[in-house]
Amino acid sequence: MTDSGCARYEALWPRSPRQAKVKALARRLDTLEGKTIAWVWDYVFRGDEVFAQLEESLKARYPGVKFLNWSEFGNTHGSDERAIVAALPQKLKALGADAVVSGMGC
Amino acid sequence: MTLAKAASMGLGFPNIPVAPVPGHPGLQSKDVLQKNIREVTLDSVIANLTKPPAQAVVGGEPGARDIVCRGSFEEVNEYFIAHELSDGLPVVPPTVEKVEAFLRYTDRQPDDVLGVLLPDNRAATVWSVAVNGVMAGCRPEYMPVLVAAVEAMADHDYGVEHSGNTPGGENLIVLNGPIIKELGFNYTQGVMRDGFQANTTVGRFWRLYLRNIAGFLPHKNDKATFGNTWRVVIAENEDVLTKINWPPNCAEFGFRAGTNALSIGRYTGGNHISSVSGATPEALLPYLADAVIKQYSWQIMFTVGQGYHTLRPLMLLSPIIAETIAAGGWSKEDLKQQLFDHARMPAWVFERYLRDWTQKPTWNLAEEHAAGRIPKVFHESDDPERMVPIVWEPEDYMIVVTGDLGRNSCYVFAHNGVLGYPVGKEIKLPHNWKALLGASIKNTTIHNAA
Repeated sequence: MTDSGCARYEALWPRSPRQAKVKALARRLDTLEGKTIAWVWDYVFRGDEVFAQLEESLKARYPGVKFLNWSEFGNTHGSDERAIVAALPQKLKALGADAVVSGMGC
Repeated sequence: MTLAKAASMGLGFPNIPVAPVPGHPGLQSKDVLQKNIREVTLDSVIANLTKPPAQAVVGGEPGARDIVCRGSFEEVNEYFIAHELSDGLPVVPPTVEKVEAFLRYTDRQPDDVLGVLLPDNRAATVWSVAVNGVMAGCRPEYMPVLVAAVEAMADHDYGVEHSGNTPGGENLIVLNGPIIKELGFNYTQGVMRDGFQANTTVGRFWRLYLRNIAGFLPHKNDKATFGNTWRVVIAENEDVLTKINWPPNCAEFGFRAGTNALSIGRYTGGNHISSVSGATPEALLPYLADAVIKQYSWQIMFTVGQGYHTLRPLMLLSPIIAETIAAGGWSKEDLKQQLFDHARMPAWVFERYLRDWTQKPTWNLAEEHAAGRIPKVFHESDDPERMVPIVWEPEDYMIVVTGDLGRNSCYVFAHNGVLGYPVGKEIKLPHNWKALLGASIKNTTIHNAA
């Protein structure tokens, strides 16, 4: 663009500060053997098949690994998503989950 | 992956690990998908669960009232484009003086927070509303409308966090109340066309605010496959509503006729229906019901499945269509009932959308009804040819009267369900509205005369 006039402006930032502070991630597991992995799903992109395949492959490598099916938690991308997501921490704890895999994004 | 990276920043987990699935699962055979999971996704999942993630790195940002650019009109615009603060059209440089002019049109304080908008998780302050309103080319007196629009955007029922979803639906603001005429919103011919300052700039403001505060930038948090351009605001023709004794659109949200109010809702598309002809409502109905059905396919997953009871089809009626229907003795509620009864599809078609074509779990209407999750109207028999509605109840339809006074047309919007559920908000005017508006009109007149 060319400068078509002599007016000068002091333009303000149109955003506002982010409200979320950076949070530490949970400590990683030393092994998956004997651990319980929860699948949390948004009911899109064939997550049911993806999780089933992952279960089969993980079981082959870690015979003692256990899983919590996505149906335990409900749809994280539907009418009740806020309530379902809000209930996740308590539910995961109650069901003894050691790790969570949440999908599917695209 | 880009979406996960962009969204994780706003959620406070910029280093959350993500496991990729190559390609798009929707277009892969079962064998290919399984191979991709075994050969790529699996190792990534294991690594993400067992290896420490990278250190979180977050860049600094300016403060809420910081001046970020000093320069000419062109230099300011170049800066805003380079820093992804603009929609690509020239913006009005948001200076303190201009922002303060907007703030005079609200009794709210500049630091008041109207909500926190995902996915960027930024506070929707009154100050930021004014800044983006200036940029969009709004007039200061539009400020009460802008504030109400952002209050609606922040309403959890609307679900602003979904505004970057695949279908790329775009929001529509519908306006009611005396403010339509006071601010000069178009509510007649070409109501959805740009070219009217109030309708156009408030519509543009919505998209700028979604970008700058909610954080919906294409190639980042905005994953619309194709997308839509922002929609201009439409206003209802309240003169016609009074004449036919129909309630305004804002009554859907509990506001009486005569209230300044707006509604919002996200729509993935729509279609104009021409030459809706007939002397009676009964004669008009088949075409109207057909128009509704032809706009809805996959979206019925917001009636049963991905969402439950969250589909609200919106129909615009040109004034003479509404007048003809009302003259036949039908109220707005009667029209909604008739659409509920007649805009239907065979159950097997409904289930095909739900299950087979969109690769969702094994939803079917019989099981959903047996489980008590949907009304009986969806499963009154096991006949796959039985006709089922596309919404739960007549009240789910929304009817707005607007557009050309002399055309017999309607327009049906395809609603995005829970991912943009309609909400309404009252437009609250400042205590000295009349005086402010009078001064504004006087200044405009003087300016135009000069």
